[in-house]
Amino acid sequence: MRPPHGPSDTTDGDRADPLPPGHRVGDWVVTRLIGSGGWSTVYAARPAGRQPDRTGGHPDRTGGTAAPPGHADVALKIMPTAGLAPRQARRIVESARREVELGSRAGHTRLIGLLESFVLTAPGHPSLEGANVLVMERAAGSLRDLIDAGVPEDDRGGLIAGICEGLAHLHRSGWVHADLKPENVLLGRDRSVKLSDFGLATELTGTHGYVPPLGTLDYFPPERWRAPLGELGVRVRPTADIWALGIVIHEVFASGASPFPGATPMARGAAVQEYGQGRAPLRMDHAVPPFWRALAADCLAPTHEARARHTAESLLARIAAHREAPGSRAGRRGPRARTAVLATALCGIAGAALCSDAVRAASATAPAGTVQVYNAERDCRGQSVRDPRCSLGLAIDPVRPYTAENVVATRVWHGDILTADCQVADGETIIDEEDRRSTHWFRVHLPPGSEPPTAWLPAVRAKDGTALPECF
Amino acid sequence: MSGVIVHLPQGSGGAVGGRPHGDTVTLRLGPGEVARFGRGSTTVPVELRLDDPAISRLAGEIRVSDDHWQLTNHSTTHSYLVENPEGAGEYLRVPPRRVGAPIPFEFSRVVLPTRGDVAISFQVFAPDHVYLDPDAMGGPWGNSTVTAYSLNETATYFLVLVALCEPRLRDQSRVAVPTTPQIVERIGGHLTGGELTARAVSSHIDYLADEKLRIGAPGAHEPGKGERRNGKREEIVGLALRFGLVREEHLALLPPLTGAGGRERQAAR
Repeated sequence: MRPPHGPSDTTDGDRADPLPPGHRVGDWVVTRLIGSGGWSTVYAARPAGRQPDRTGGHPDRTGGTAAPPGHADVALKIMPTAGLAPRQARRIVESARREVELGSRAGHTRLIGLLESFVLTAPGHPSLEGANVLVMERAAGSLRDLIDAGVPEDDRGGLIAGICEGLAHLHRSGWVHADLKPENVLLGRDRSVKLSDFGLATELTGTHGYVPPLGTLDYFPPERWRAPLGELGVRVRPTADIWALGIVIHEVFASGASPFPGATPMARGAAVQEYGQGRAPLRMDHAVPPFWRALAADCLAPTHEARARHTAESLLARIAAHREAPGSRAGRRGPRARTAVLATALCGIAGAALCSDAVRAASATAPAGTVQVYNAERDCRGQSVRDPRCSLGLAIDPVRPYTAENVVATRVWHGDILTADCQVADGETIIDEEDRRSTHWFRVHLPPGSEPPTAWLPAVRAKDGTALPECF
Repeated sequence: MSGVIVHLPQGSGGAVGGRPHGDTVTLRLGPGEVARFGRGSTTVPVELRLDDPAISRLAGEIRVSDDHWQLTNHSTTHSYLVENPEGAGEYLRVPPRRVGAPIPFEFSRVVLPTRGDVAISFQVFAPDHVYLDPDAMGGPWGNSTVTAYSLNETATYFLVLVALCEPRLRDQSRVAVPTTPQIVERIGGHLTGGELTARAVSSHIDYLADEKLRIGAPGAHEPGKGERRNGKREEIVGLALRFGLVREEHLALLPPLTGAGGRERQAAR
């Protein structure tokens, strides 16, 4: 038999070439690549005509009425069809159609917003000619990023509740997501959960919907492994999303581990089937607290019939009752503190590599005052090693929400002495782990060559510095 | 993923309790399941009975693991051979007392030595092997959305599938799905691993329908068998094209058209 071959080998490089920053797509200008999947590439973009945000001075700051910068930043999902056979192109178009249809008919705060969609005409860029473009709200990161970085304990319940709200809305509107996984759970700038990627989402006709024979192996319920392929595709029911939710709950509480053993998706898929056929018990990680373990076990009931009782609505009601119960950890802190903790965890992903030794070196030529970094976590003080988990972030803009979008790459650690030149008194409120709160922020200098050259340290993360002049 | 299928041809043994030299046996094993094979007895039960005095009561066992299967050789003296019938002579030798040798082939023939001229053999199919999507843009695939029904594009069944789809791929004709003799004629001489019989083509089509695409139930309840066959072919072709499992580029796997026998129309273009 001859080796397989075909045009796909020759078109690969062409299709994989990312668009450079500054490239214009419709009314939008690409700012950077976010990621690429099987059939699409996602870019961050801003409206054409608006300049990239400047950092440092903030003329509008005192007025407090300016629209938050970055509000109009979007994500562009580009699905090229050039070079594909008509039948492959049809699959792309079909996927885009599902997203658009769902976006226009079942919009919700827990679903990522679709702003517009169009087919690209790009005479100068043959590989993009005819590409389908979806313009969507831009998120700060995905649940996968957060799981990889470590989900702060107090955020876990809220995240699951958010996913549940999204699913409840989808199912109520008669849709099945069919590809729920942490990669498709996005976290908005205001720390809200937003479900995304509706390329496989399907509207129910009666009790079933049909999807193309695609999916992510780790999130397939047992019945899906033997599901027949029919004229319309594979039959899916809302209980498939509930199963996937069970896997996601376990991942959130068990540092990203699946409840099913195995080193590869195939091995875990085999374990799912053994469990589904009653030949193996469900063994969850003991790191999952009892309430969530029970909830995940219900989501992971082995058959569609057993799972059907546990609708997204009913799970949501149980979560709400649990979170309101006295003694529940969820009620202990205000929502703002969770924002700060979440932001710290998210930005740790990108920034941990940069050591703040450089920050300290810069302080030798201090023009104004200094502040010393203070970490409220006792375990992080008195450490000589710069543990990424103990690193703290610096904001780009003290009046914008303190989220991953608004954090510079440079990280700082407890005890670092930073050069600071001034302070503001009415920035975002930050509450630390010891419930100290402050709206004060210090402008600190970053190592030479950093872009932006300065950043903002919340006063709750600093000692001294109160004598600094007001920033103008 | 549905496990593996063990197929024992007629006259080699039988299931437990079956007559000697009994009928064809087909076992379907899910992940983690085990089937023992051997001569068997009331004290040594086996799921797959191989009726030959040279074969031990418990000769070995098959265990389904992930997307493949493992062979344990309980014999203390004999090696077993696992051949890949489509592999142009590819085979594995599983030595005596080897535990859990992983078998990488989708199609295997397990051959046990006997005292006679004819060795005893049975077949094991592992249809769950996963292949990367051809149009995936590289990168890690573990968490990505993939085609849940993957086909080995170098397998004979895939060549049969392409031949089935050829008329519609070439001229969009909705009516023409080739018959078995037409497929034998089209690709029969093209295989390196030997000739292709009409019976083999039919089994490849059944394998595609039942194990690879798992075509839905409707056809199964229809009465006339000949009618059902045609329905099945139409359905395979429809699904393979609709979901992009066979594409224009795969036509290159087929031998070049000669322009003979009713194909003048394409040749004239």
